Amino acid sequence: MKDAVDAKLIVNGVEAGVEIAPGRRLSQALREDLGLRGTKVGCDAGDCGACTVLIDGSPVCACLTPAAQAVGRDVRTVESFENGVLDNLQQSFLRHGAAQCGICTPGMLVAASALLTRKPVPTRTEVEDALGGVLCRCTGYAKIVTAVMEAGLAPEPVEAPMAGQAVGAAIERLDGVPKVAGREQFGADMIREGMLAVRAIRSPHESTGFTLGDIAAWAAERGVEVFTAADIPGENRFSVIPAFRDQPALAVSHARMRGEAIALVAGEPEVIEALNLVDFPVTWVPEVSLGDPDQAEVGDAPRMHEDREGNILIRGLVQRGDAEAALRSATHVAEFAMETGYVEHAYIEPEAGIAWMEDDVLVIRACTQAPVMDRDDTALVLGLPPERVRIIPAAAGGGFGSKLDLSLQPLIGLVTLKTGRPARMIYTRRESMSSTTKRHPARMRARAGIDAKGRIAGFEFDGQFNTGAYASWGPTVAVRVPVHASGPYFMGDYRARSRAVHTNGPVSGAFRGFGVPQAAILQETLFDDLAIKARIDRLQFRKLNALKDGEPTVCGQELSGVGIADCLESLTPHWDEALARAAVINAQKGRVRRGVGVASCWYGCGNTALPNPSTIRAGLRSDGTLWLHQGATDIGQGANTVIAQIFADALGVPVGRIGLIGGDTALTPDCGKTSASRQTFITGKAAQLAGAALRAQLLAMTNMGEGATLSLDEGRVCVTDGTRDTAIELANLQVQPDGYVISAEESYDPPTGALDENGQGAPYAVYGYGAQIAELDVDIELGTVKVVRMVAAHDLGRVINPMLAEGQIEGGIAQGLGLALMEEYIPGRTENLHDYLIPTFGDMPEIQSILIERPDPEGPFGAKGLGEHVLIPTAPAILNAIRHACGARLKRVPALPHRVLAAIREAGEIGG
Amino acid sequence: MNRFDYIRPGSVAEAVAAASEPGAAYLAGGTNLLDLMKIGVAAPDKVIDITRLPGLDRIDWLEDASVRIGAMVRNAELARNTAFSAAFPAISEALLSGASPQLRNAATVGGNLMQETRCAYFQDPLSRCNRRAPGSGCDALEGHNRSHAVLGWTPSCIATHPSDFCVPLAALGAIVEIEGPDGSREIDLAALHELPGSESAGGIALKHGEMITALRLPAEATSFAGHSRYLKLRERTSFAFALVSAAAMLSMEQGTITEARIALGAVAARPWHATDAETFLKGKKAEAEVFAEAAGIALKEASPSGDNAFKITLATRVLTRALTLAAKGTPDRVPALPASVFMSSEGATANA
Ligand SMILES: Cc1cc2nc3c(=O)[nH]c(=O)nc-3n(C[C@H](O)[C@H](O)[C@H](O)COP(=O)(O)OP(=O)(O)OC[C@H]3O[C@@H](n4cnc5c(N)ncnc54)[C@H](O)[C@@H]3O)c2cc1C
Ligand code: SF4
Ligand code: FES
Ligand code: FES
Repeated sequence: MKDAVDAKLIVNGVEAGVEIAPGRRLSQALREDLGLRGTKVGCDAGDCGACTVLIDGSPVCACLTPAAQAVGRDVRTVESFENGVLDNLQQSFLRHGAAQCGICTPGMLVAASALLTRKPVPTRTEVEDALGGVLCRCTGYAKIVTAVMEAGLAPEPVEAPMAGQAVGAAIERLDGVPKVAGREQFGADMIREGMLAVRAIRSPHESTGFTLGDIAAWAAERGVEVFTAADIPGENRFSVIPAFRDQPALAVSHARMRGEAIALVAGEPEVIEALNLVDFPVTWVPEVSLGDPDQAEVGDAPRMHEDREGNILIRGLVQRGDAEAALRSATHVAEFAMETGYVEHAYIEPEAGIAWMEDDVLVIRACTQAPVMDRDDTALVLGLPPERVRIIPAAAGGGFGSKLDLSLQPLIGLVTLKTGRPARMIYTRRESMSSTTKRHPARMRARAGIDAKGRIAGFEFDGQFNTGAYASWGPTVAVRVPVHASGPYFMGDYRARSRAVHTNGPVSGAFRGFGVPQAAILQETLFDDLAIKARIDRLQFRKLNALKDGEPTVCGQELSGVGIADCLESLTPHWDEALARAAVINAQKGRVRRGVGVASCWYGCGNTALPNPSTIRAGLRSDGTLWLHQGATDIGQGANTVIAQIFADALGVPVGRIGLIGGDTALTPDCGKTSASRQTFITGKAAQLAGAALRAQLLAMTNMGEGATLSLDEGRVCVTDGTRDTAIELANLQVQPDGYVISAEESYDPPTGALDENGQGAPYAVYGYGAQIAELDVDIELGTVKVVRMVAAHDLGRVINPMLAEGQIEGGIAQGLGLALMEEYIPGRTENLHDYLIPTFGDMPEIQSILIERPDPEGPFGAKGLGEHVLIPTAPAILNAIRHACGARLKRVPALPHRVLAAIREAGEIGG
Repeated sequence: MNRFDYIRPGSVAEAVAAASEPGAAYLAGGTNLLDLMKIGVAAPDKVIDITRLPGLDRIDWLEDASVRIGAMVRNAELARNTAFSAAFPAISEALLSGASPQLRNAATVGGNLMQETRCAYFQDPLSRCNRRAPGSGCDALEGHNRSHAVLGWTPSCIATHPSDFCVPLAALGAIVEIEGPDGSREIDLAALHELPGSESAGGIALKHGEMITALRLPAEATSFAGHSRYLKLRERTSFAFALVSAAAMLSMEQGTITEARIALGAVAARPWHATDAETFLKGKKAEAEVFAEAAGIALKEASPSGDNAFKITLATRVLTRALTLAAKGTPDRVPALPASVFMSSEGATANA
């Protein structure tokens, strides 16, 4: 009866050449046995749909399908789509910007193909229904729905932008084809001959001592190798901020958090996969855990890190004028306290990567947002000079901040260094969720006053941020929050304090907004308290207080190009319409109440008051090809495309002529990390400078004026000014050691200044602004909230690519909606994507994006950043709308039904 | 995951024989079992794949107008079966509100009945759990228990049964056909999931090696087709387990209820058949106050097992609403967002 006989799969019409062990999951068989890695694995539990394949035409999750059940049936994967050319659906995905990071794309395509076979031009509802089992963390789903609905329609022909017209054009992503083809290589998608598989032993406790037993015997018995902290050749301490190095790659004798790695097991992939780690010889000695920051802060609490008194990692302060005095004389004062929980990034790609040796250089190809930081920290841990570590970022299946920190890089690096063999590691979903960073839980209190005219008179903010076991980006959060807690408003009398407190919880790090979204939840809802008290229209109240050019910020910085007033103004007609709709609905006094809310954001782009340069190199080869060394990691947000667009226009050639190189620490100069919404601005500016420098060389060589036109031909550059034509014959030029005949390299570091002890100074060179309206329904009997519409106005300074900008807005809103309504990570209890819920198709409202262009004097072509801004106003706008609907003033997010019901009861405005 | 033997028997008898050995487990769609094996909660050393057993994937209408559904019929196939969903619209709605299209394509009728609780402590082998390891204790009692039971629980176990499908089935008096080492037997669906006792944690009432072969719905169950609804409250709009849910099925004559079938989901270790509320409704006018009172009766015995008193309120309101919707009539087609509390319209004209 045992079934090993006819265990050959038929995949995409071809019989597999190898027999499949019947006990395998179909996802493993496809990816590992047959090398068909277009099928992705995001959760291994049926929750994410990334592994969707067709069996006899029906979509199923390959991760929960025993391979044996697929034997003899027609299995179709994303690889079956492409026969040399992209099919209509794939082209539609590309055209509509439906793939950002691309990790969900294969699952989306496969699920959509089953629908399109039945229904070539489906309705919106049909698409949402058919694709509802595939999660996407990047796009907010809107563009995916459109792409599927329009896959069967003939596309309108679009012309590629001409030279000098790339900026502002909604061009397809330049790196999009592999994503929609299912060919993109993410962290888990590369293998190498002779590679070892690596798994980690992790602490099941929040705080625990441990002793290792006879690991040598255990390892020998199983034919594997074990590595512990004792094997680490360098300094077993890293951190994204060098001054705070406190996190071991492998814990030494004590683990400070659940999920912390204490040992590695490496061996042949089949052996490692089948290995039961339950009997690994370790004895845990659990200790009392400091789970709550209030508990960790009290004087006699044990210190988690020797030198950090009261378990305080760092404090932040910004003050200006005299907030207390202003509040004393204010006409109205409002005060409120709010709390947020851990939020998980929930990118669909768990951390994964592979390491190998190339001569004496350790090469690591893994998902990351910060290749150069990875290189330096990994080198430190492994005791190597940085030149001996090379980081090649794999395509990142989402990052949102968490992939800024090291995860598996030193681990696979260690195994490869010790064994000389390639080593691959793929985190399980649980491992990814339990061991990597989270958004900081915040406990915040604020008090704000207004004068008789409704102008802010005094604002005080105090926030405690639970930074978890290690520093990570805690310092950045503590510094950013007081700078931003005012929102984009003028406040002469201001004091904001913050502190990051260690606990035995997960490490809190960077997550889209570095603490600013949490602060905005309190500040923006407090603004509604004030507007309501003063009986001023809530949008009007914001307009009244909006920061203007030349007015000092709370740091005393005078800015120009401040676009918040424009954003608020552009929302006005939408606001009036939404309020009118709400009035009609609410007049019925039914069980569903409509609410409308608004909130703003501002966000400084780049590091806070610290240098953060980017460098771009570009060159022409003698064959006339043009290459851009672009080291800014594209985690789906579109850096590859946007930066090339800027470069193309600065140089004056069509963007289609540019070949992209990178990122790779051996090939691309440092473009810094993909965080703090800095890449479009800072790397974009470096690209603009590099493009201009290259152009200047070409013009000088031909003695042409600034207005001349360039064109690249085979082996030559033609230059014309309308009266005279000349050409540079590239073959006649000397080839430089870097392979180019003409090249340019430029760096840009934004002008910022240090903050003084009161937080006064110029922390950022460029800020971006935005405001969003949320329109939603609250079921006052059940406490459920359904957002029906969002209107988002964002000032980008200059829109480099409207399609990508919209994609950022839609994706940011999806994450903000999750933060507001459903996401709450509980260590040990929600380490999967069915207990930790992120928005699906069904949760997303209609989104209207309004792109405002108020040029920034510093940004490239006037551009500002956008990536993080988009998430900040969403949650407070939703909370303000909930209150408008039913009076419920929430003290804690997410606004789950039971919390909404309790808040309705407390407000007592309506039954419930 | 540990290594295990994979066995594909050719007949039910062979399957039962193989599964009766210690350490063996049935494998149907695998959507629950494979996950449990991955997280270390189930560790069979033999899995018996029953998906290709002949004859178990059929939907048969029997002479007495009852219907027999083979245990291997997929959830999606059953929900989309025209005759079936016309006769049992609330069951279709419940099925379509569960999981995702991909999972419904794979999940079987038998597997859905047999799926394990989603209690996070049950799913974590390092936690104490009486259901997983009898006598070890219950970490949920003092833990995160917001979504745990409010009916039929004891301190031995406060877990809920997560199935949507089972809720209308329990209300309609479905019968489960079982083959086992000791021969065949039938039980009421209501008896398939045992409530916890003072010592025992409750759970599935099958003996090792027993297999569900089919599910039967009695002929009279079709008489509610005109007034049937399933309503499911969850913490995101779709693709989530129920926080509370309710199946409400009425037969009505001129505004008067002649017969009612009611069950609640995600409130107890079994789909909760609310017979007292059914009796109460018999002969009553279909009116809002009557439904609210019936819901109150259904939840009369409820008590919080932890931080979840709100579930009693929510269950009462969800049931009241399900009854109200049912009285208005079954929609022509299962609405978009099946069973969602966010459905934009109600009644027979509900959105198509
Ligand atoms: C992400 C996710 C979301 C989900 N959401 C929902 C939801 O919203 N609502 C809902 O109701 N369900 C939900 N489910 C559960 C899903 O419905 C079940 O996993 C599925 O019904 C199980 O069926 P299966 O055929 O795959 O069973 P399997 O996984 O194969 O088996 C499950 C168990 O039943 C036993 N078994 C299977 N068939 C038989 C039989 N004939 N006789 C005896 N024992 C048998 C197996 O041994 C095993 O113990 C969800 C599941 C996942 C993974
Ligand atoms: S509630 Fe039941 S299933 Fe959950 S831990 Fe307690 S005994 Fe186990
Ligand atoms: S990997 Fe299969 S559903 Fe997530
Ligand atoms: S594009 Fe969907 S998850 Fe990134």
